[in-house]
Amino acid sequence: MRCPIPIIKLAKALETNPEVTLLSDDPATLPDLIAWSRMTKNQYSIVGINKYLVKSL
Amino acid sequence: MSTTGTVLRVGSITNQFQRESPLHPAARAFIADAFDRGWADPSKIHGESRQAAILLNEAKEIFAAHLGIRSNQVDFLSDPALGFHLGSSSVLQEGSRFYFSAVDRSEIYALANLHHGEKLSVALDGSIAYPKGRPTDLLSWQTLNGETGIISAQPSEFTGRLFVDASASGAAIALPQNWSTALWNSQAWEGPTGLGVFAVADRSIWRNPLPHIDQRISSSELSIPLVMASAIALEAHTRDYAENRASLLLYNNRIRQFLAAEIGDVDIAGSSNTTVPYLLSFSLLYIDAERLVNELTRQGISVDSGSACSSANMEPSHVLAAMGLLTHGNVRMTLHNQTTLVDVEAFLKTLKIIVEDLRK
Repeated sequence: MRCPIPIIKLAKALETNPEVTLLSDDPATLPDLIAWSRMTKNQYSIVGINKYLVKSL
Repeated sequence: MSTTGTVLRVGSITNQFQRESPLHPAARAFIADAFDRGWADPSKIHGESRQAAILLNEAKEIFAAHLGIRSNQVDFLSDPALGFHLGSSSVLQEGSRFYFSAVDRSEIYALANLHHGEKLSVALDGSIAYPKGRPTDLLSWQTLNGETGIISAQPSEFTGRLFVDASASGAAIALPQNWSTALWNSQAWEGPTGLGVFAVADRSIWRNPLPHIDQRISSSELSIPLVMASAIALEAHTRDYAENRASLLLYNNRIRQFLAAEIGDVDIAGSSNTTVPYLLSFSLLYIDAERLVNELTRQGISVDSGSACSSANMEPSHVLAAMGLLTHGNVRMTLHNQTTLVDVEAFLKTLKIIVEDLRK
């Protein structure tokens, strides 16, 4: 999966779950998560290699 | 060399918002004449050579006047990218530190690898905290970023040597007082491609990083007709820009306002106070830039993009990533001097329809 699919799927998953673990090896995912969190006021943390925990606020 | 009189626009670039533009019509009208008059080797002494030397000097005077340097500091490069090496490696010495910014061009990243450069981070608004430096340190400094259009604050406190990358700004931004070396690209003022203008403030600290046997900065072959055409383009473009600047700012503000109000979920680089009016970069959330660029192309509109999906190596723009701007769904627009409000409104209307469709 390449940009912007991981972020689209993430936003969809967050609609029904308060917390989502995102696995993505797309090089655009981390910079996009940073910008997306700022724009949509969500929170992310890096929990492993290509692994992120995202919480909706 | 004179460009007075009416100039007919030949290649129409309506609806074209990509970075490149055709050769300025004033230069285009002049170029056959330039090839007739400037073909001889200016370093020889026959009549035609003398004429070529005179034309080259006239062109140097024009560049000097517009770029804010002395005519004896003007040099030309038939490979503009070589100027990054000639401008930075040349003023480094044992123990020098080499500072560059995260939004510098990839040529600077390559040189930073070579010289163990120290990367300065860039904030979301494009601001950079410059060090004070020591006299032998080097700072690579962009007049403005060609991707985002954000104008850099002048590093007036920096005490070392300053390489000025003016390749994206042309003559639109003045050289800082403390410049050491500087590079421009003829494309920035609708001049011919494949021509760089290079200058050294003080030759006593400059060491040629290329193999050389004489005092020349570059021994590459130079086309005097192209240099002349570029000088004509610089004069004409500067005049056009002075006339159109206020309109371009209006269009820029209009696009920013429309994106926020009518499209939404958009990350726009800088503000109209921090960017040049003729460049604009924005990223649309949940949009695949490749599909967006293709759809726009189908409607006869060209834009550029810094998104991974639209780049050859699938890596997102290092500039957007470094600033923390959204890297997907990115659109980079250049508003040309001949862009009209009609072009802008047509673009916005088309963009809104495409984005609504792609976001479904």
